[in-house]
Amino acid sequence: MSLPLLERELIYTPANRFVQITKPQPLMPERKPRPGEQYRFHFDMTKCIGCKCCVVACNEQNGNPAAINWRRVGEVEGGHYPNTQRHYLSMGCNHCVEPSCMIGCPTEAYTKDPATGVVVHSADICIGCQYCTWNCSYGVPQYNADRGVVGKCDLCHNRLADGDAPACANACPEKAITIEIVDIAAWRAEHMAADAPGLPSSRDSISTTRVTLPADLPPDMGRVDTQRISVEHPHWPLVFMLVLTQLSVGAFIALWALDLMGVGAGLGIAAIAALGIAGLSLGASTLHLGRPIHAWRAMKGLRRSWLSREVLTLSLFAGAAHAYAGMLYFDIGGRTAAGLATAVFGILGVTSSARIYVVRARPAWFSRYTMIDFYATALFLGPLFVRALNVSDAPWTAWAAVAGGAAQLIAQTLKFLWLSRSEAFELRASSLLLSGRLQKQFLTRLAILVVAGLVMPLTEVPVAVTLALALAGEWLGRWLFFVSVVPKNVAAAFTSGRAA
Amino acid sequence: MIGTFKRLIGIDNLASEYAFGRDASTGYTSAKKIPEKWVATTCGYCSVGCGIEVGVKEGKAIAARPLQGHPVNRGKLCPKGLSEHYIIDAENRAKYPLLKKNGKFVRISWDEAIATMVEKFRAVQQRYGADSLGVISTGQLVTEEFYTLGKLIQLGFGTKNYDGNTTLCMASAVSGYKLSFGSDGPPGAYEDMEKADVILLIGANIADNHPILCQYLEANPSKTVIVADPRVSKTAMMADIHLPIKPRSDLALLNGMAHVLIRHGLIDRQYIAAHTSGFEALEKHVEPYTPQRVSELTGLSEEQIYKTAVLYGKAKAGFIGWTMGVNHSTKGAETVAAINNLALLTGHIGREGASPFSITGQCNAMGTRETGFASSMPGYRKFDDPNERAELAALWNIDEARLPAKRGLAYPDIIEGAVGNKIRALWVIATNPLVSFPNQDVLRQALSNLDFVVVQDGYHPTPTTELAHLILPAAIWGEKEGTYTNSERRVSKANKAVEPIGEAKSDFDIFLKTAEKLGCREELYPGWTKPEDAFNEWRRVSKGRLCDYSGITYDMLAQGPVQWPLAEGATPAATTRLYEDGTFPTADGRAKFVCAEWEPFPEQPNKQYPLVLNTGRTVEHWHTRTKTKEVPILERLSPSAWLEMNPRDARAMGLRSHDRVDLVSRRGRVREVELRLTEIVAPGQVFMPFHFFETNVNDVTQSAFDPISREPNYKQCAVRVERTGEVR
Repeated sequence: MSLPLLERELIYTPANRFVQITKPQPLMPERKPRPGEQYRFHFDMTKCIGCKCCVVACNEQNGNPAAINWRRVGEVEGGHYPNTQRHYLSMGCNHCVEPSCMIGCPTEAYTKDPATGVVVHSADICIGCQYCTWNCSYGVPQYNADRGVVGKCDLCHNRLADGDAPACANACPEKAITIEIVDIAAWRAEHMAADAPGLPSSRDSISTTRVTLPADLPPDMGRVDTQRISVEHPHWPLVFMLVLTQLSVGAFIALWALDLMGVGAGLGIAAIAALGIAGLSLGASTLHLGRPIHAWRAMKGLRRSWLSREVLTLSLFAGAAHAYAGMLYFDIGGRTAAGLATAVFGILGVTSSARIYVVRARPAWFSRYTMIDFYATALFLGPLFVRALNVSDAPWTAWAAVAGGAAQLIAQTLKFLWLSRSEAFELRASSLLLSGRLQKQFLTRLAILVVAGLVMPLTEVPVAVTLALALAGEWLGRWLFFVSVVPKNVAAAFTSGRAA
Repeated sequence: MIGTFKRLIGIDNLASEYAFGRDASTGYTSAKKIPEKWVATTCGYCSVGCGIEVGVKEGKAIAARPLQGHPVNRGKLCPKGLSEHYIIDAENRAKYPLLKKNGKFVRISWDEAIATMVEKFRAVQQRYGADSLGVISTGQLVTEEFYTLGKLIQLGFGTKNYDGNTTLCMASAVSGYKLSFGSDGPPGAYEDMEKADVILLIGANIADNHPILCQYLEANPSKTVIVADPRVSKTAMMADIHLPIKPRSDLALLNGMAHVLIRHGLIDRQYIAAHTSGFEALEKHVEPYTPQRVSELTGLSEEQIYKTAVLYGKAKAGFIGWTMGVNHSTKGAETVAAINNLALLTGHIGREGASPFSITGQCNAMGTRETGFASSMPGYRKFDDPNERAELAALWNIDEARLPAKRGLAYPDIIEGAVGNKIRALWVIATNPLVSFPNQDVLRQALSNLDFVVVQDGYHPTPTTELAHLILPAAIWGEKEGTYTNSERRVSKANKAVEPIGEAKSDFDIFLKTAEKLGCREELYPGWTKPEDAFNEWRRVSKGRLCDYSGITYDMLAQGPVQWPLAEGATPAATTRLYEDGTFPTADGRAKFVCAEWEPFPEQPNKQYPLVLNTGRTVEHWHTRTKTKEVPILERLSPSAWLEMNPRDARAMGLRSHDRVDLVSRRGRVREVELRLTEIVAPGQVFMPFHFFETNVNDVTQSAFDPISREPNYKQCAVRVERTGEVR
C-alpha cells in the first residue's frame, strides 16, 4: 500500500546525501470527499509560467499521441506595452456538476463518480459517436480516430485513490495546479469563481475548476487565438444521413397527404423508394461511428440523450414506414393510422435530429435556425421527390417544395445576419467563415435555393433535374452547417492546435 | 488485415495499447510507459543540470521522469526533459558513417571513415600548414570527451584553431569574469535565488529558457524580483519591477546604477578597500552616467533607475543573473564586467544569496570551458602564463613548446578564415551552424570554400550534415557515459541507458579511434579505455586550480552531484560559492573594477530598415531543434516560428496576426514567417525565435562580434517587415 503523497515525501530518504527536503505544499487534499462534496482542480493563474510541463506529463501519463491533449495550455493577453500582461490557462476536465458530455452521451459511457465527483469516460462502452465532443463548452472530450473512441481527463482518479497527485499537478514546477475538495451545493451558488478570461462561462455546465486570477488584470484581457478560425470536421456520413432522412420524412408526409386525398394508386413505388432512402441513410449514419458494430448501444441513453431519442424515433419511423409502404404497395385499406404513425415518428425523428445539435457549446447551432433548417429540408425535398417519381402532378406538391425552398432561403439569410451582428465571438467567427473562406460554397448554396427552390419547381424543367440540384444544395448546406460552426473552447495558444 | 477490420468495425478499440498499470515508484500510469528499469542520469539539454531518470524497456528508452532527491530540480523537469526519451530512437538519427561520393552519401565502415578523415586532414595540414584545420565543437559533450578532444586537437592534430559553439553563447560571460575576477567561473549557486532579497535578472528569460529555476524564486519568501528586458517576456511578467529598457542599453543602466550607488554611499567601502582595485577610476568613469542621462539612454524613468540601484544597494544579499540578453552583444564582455562592478561595489559576492551569476546555456558549456583547451588551457590556465604552461607541460610530461603560445581563432574567425582560405578543412562536432550562426550567407560561402568538412553528430540529415563530406554518427545523451557540469559548478553523472543506435559511437570512442589512427593514442591517452580514465586524469590536471575536481570521483557522483572546487580528500558541502574570502585569481588577489563605456548597438534602424530585431527562444525547443523536432508533443506545442510585432506598427502596414511576412535585413530575407501581433514587444521592435531552420532568423542577423569575447551580436539588428509576396 502506498502512503498519501505528503507523508511519503517526508519520510522518503533521498539517494543524495546533500538534500534537505523542505515540506512540500500539498498538491491534493489529505482526506477524501464527503457526501455532497467532490474533487476539483484549482488553477492558480498567478503562478503559471506557461511551460506546458502539465501537457507533456498528461500525454505521457495517458499514453496519448501528440495530437490529443487532455490537458491544454492557452494564452490570454491584455494591456499595452510595457504594461502588458500575458497569462496562461492550463485546463484539463472541469468535472462539471452538470456534465454536458454525460448528458449527451447515448451509450452511458460517462459516469460521474458518486464518491469523488470525477466525470469518468469508459472507452469500452463508447461507440465513438462524438456527440460529447459537441456538447462540452471546453473542448475536453477528444476523439481518438485510431481507437474509434473518445477520451478525456479523469483527474487521474486512480492515482488519487493511491494517494498520488495527478500527473499534471505533479509535473508543475510552480505548483499552479492542485486538487481541492468542493461542496457541491455551495458551488452551485458560487461557480462564477470558475470564470476567467479565455474560458467559456461556468454556467454552461457548472464547471468546478477554481481559477485564481491575478489582482490587476487589464480590462482588455482576452484570447490570443481569435484570429485563427478554423473550419470544423464535416462529418460526411452525417451530412449524407441527415439530408436523406429529412427527404424521406418529407416524402412520406407528402405521400400520406396524397393518400388522404385519394391518389392511392401508384404511391406504393414511391413509398418503397422513400423507404429505401431512409434505410440507406440510417445505415450510412453508422459509418460515422468509431465502432459501428456497437451502434445498438446508442439506444441506452434515452433518459438524457437526444441522440438516443433520434435513433429510437427514426427506427420507429422506419418501422412504421415499412408497414405503410407495404400497405400502399399492396393497396391494403385502413392505412391512415399507419400513415399517421409514419408522419408522427418522422416528425419526431427530425425534431430529435435537430435537438442533437442545439447545444450551448456550439453557439451557431444553439438556435431555432437548426430546427427550421432541418424541417425546411424535409419540406423542400420530400414533395420534389414524390413529383420526381411521377406519382402525382398535383400542383400543391410543387408549391410545397417552393415553400420549403423559400423557408430555407429566408432562414439561412436571417441566420447569417444574426451571426454577423452578434457580439459573441463564436457566432461572429461563424459568419466570418461563411463570408470568407467558405464564401463560394455559401453563395452557391443560396443560389441553388433560389433556382431549385423558387424557380425550377414552377417551370417545365424536368423534376428529376430540379430534385438533383435541390438535393445537392441541401447536402452543401448541411456540410456548411457542420464546417462553419465555431465551437466554444478554452483559449488556445497562439500556435497550437495545428498538426505537428 | 483481420486486425484492421476488427478495428474498423469497432470490436477492437486498441484497449491493450491504452491500458494502464502501476509502476513501483511512478504509480498508476500508462502501461506502455512502465519500463523494466529506470536509469539515473542528468538531463542533456540546458545547463540547469536536472537529475532525470530514463525508463528502459527491451533496450529502448520509453519514459523519462525527474530523479527524486536531486538537489537541482527538486523533483521537476521542463517539458523538454519530460519528453527527452523521444530523442534517442528517432527517425533522424545518424546511424552509419557516410561519405559523400559524387554528391551522394554512401555508407562506409568506421575504419574507412576514420582513415579518410585523418588522411584528408593531414593532407590539408601538410599543404597549407597545421593551422589550416579548424575544429568547431560544442557544449553538448561530456567533460571527459571535451578533455580528450582538446588534447587530440591541440597536441594530436596540432592546430590551435579550435573553438566551440559556446562562443555563440557564453563567451561574453567567460570574458567578463576574466576581466573582473581574473578567471572564468560563476561565483554563485542556484540557491542564491532562493536566499537573496533582491534579484535582478538582466536579459534573462528564465521562464522560457530555464523554467526549472523559477522554483527557486517561487520558494524565496521575501524577494523583490527586478527584470530588465526590452520585451515583456514571461519572466518580466513574474517580476515585481519590470525595466522595459531600450535594446542594448543595459550597460548604461549598470553604469547608472553604479553612479547612484557611489553617489549615495550605498557601497561597501570596506570590501572595496580590502578586495578590489580600480575604484577611483570607476568612480570617475560613472560620474557622467547620471540618472537623467541614463534615463534618456535606457528609456526608463529616473525613478526606476534610482529604485533599482537603491534596492540592490540596500539589499542584504543582492543577486544579479543574466543570460543571452547580455552575452549576445558586441559589448557583452564589458557588460558582464559592469555587472561584476555592482557586485564588487556592494560586496554582493561570495555570500549566501549574493552573486553576479551567469546562467549558462548548454548542459556542459561549463565542462568545455574548464577542460576544453579552446578559450584557455585545461584548468582555466592561460596560454600566456609561463608558470601555468610549465605546470601543464609537466603534468602531461610533454615539451612545453607543444602547447600553443596563444589562443587560436575563435568560432567566427574560423568561419572568416574559411572565407579567406586560411582554413581549408573543418571538423564540426555536435553543433548545427546552418541554423545557429549569424548571417548565414557568409557561413555558406565559408563552408563551400573548404576542401573537406567532417560533421560528427547524433542526427542526420541536419542542415549542417547535408553539407558535409563525411558524417560520423555519434552516440547521444542516454547512450553514453560521462559528467556534465552545470551553471552553478555542480558536476553530475550522465549515464548510459541504452546502446547507441545503429553503428553510432560515443564521441569519446571516436576521439580515441582517431588518435589511434593518428598514432598518438598511447602518448596522449595512456591505457585509456573508458570515460572514467579521462576523468581521473582531469582530476589530476585540475588539482589546485579554481576548478578543482581532484576530490570528485565517479563513486561519489553515483551518490549525487558535487560542486567544484573540491580538493582531494575533502568532504563535499551542500552548496559552495567562489570568492568567499574575497581573494580573486588575479596577480594581486584583488578583483578589478572595469570601466566600460556604453555605445549604441552597431546597426541602428533607419528609414529603409525601421525595426530593431531581437531573437530568442521558446520553452518547447532546444537550440537548433535537431533533437526537439523529433519529439512529437513538442512539435505539436510549437510547430513553427513566428514574428512578434507590436499592433501599432502593424496597423500602419495593414498587417494582421497570422499573416505571412518576410523579414528583411541588409543581409538576407526570412520568408513566410507567421506574424503575431502582441503588446509583448515594444513599438519599433520585432522578435523572432531562432530554433527553426525552415524560417531561419539567422538569415538576417549580422556579422558583428564582441572584440573581446568574439560572441555575435544576435540581439539587435535593423530590419523591415514585408507582407509575403508584396514588392515594395
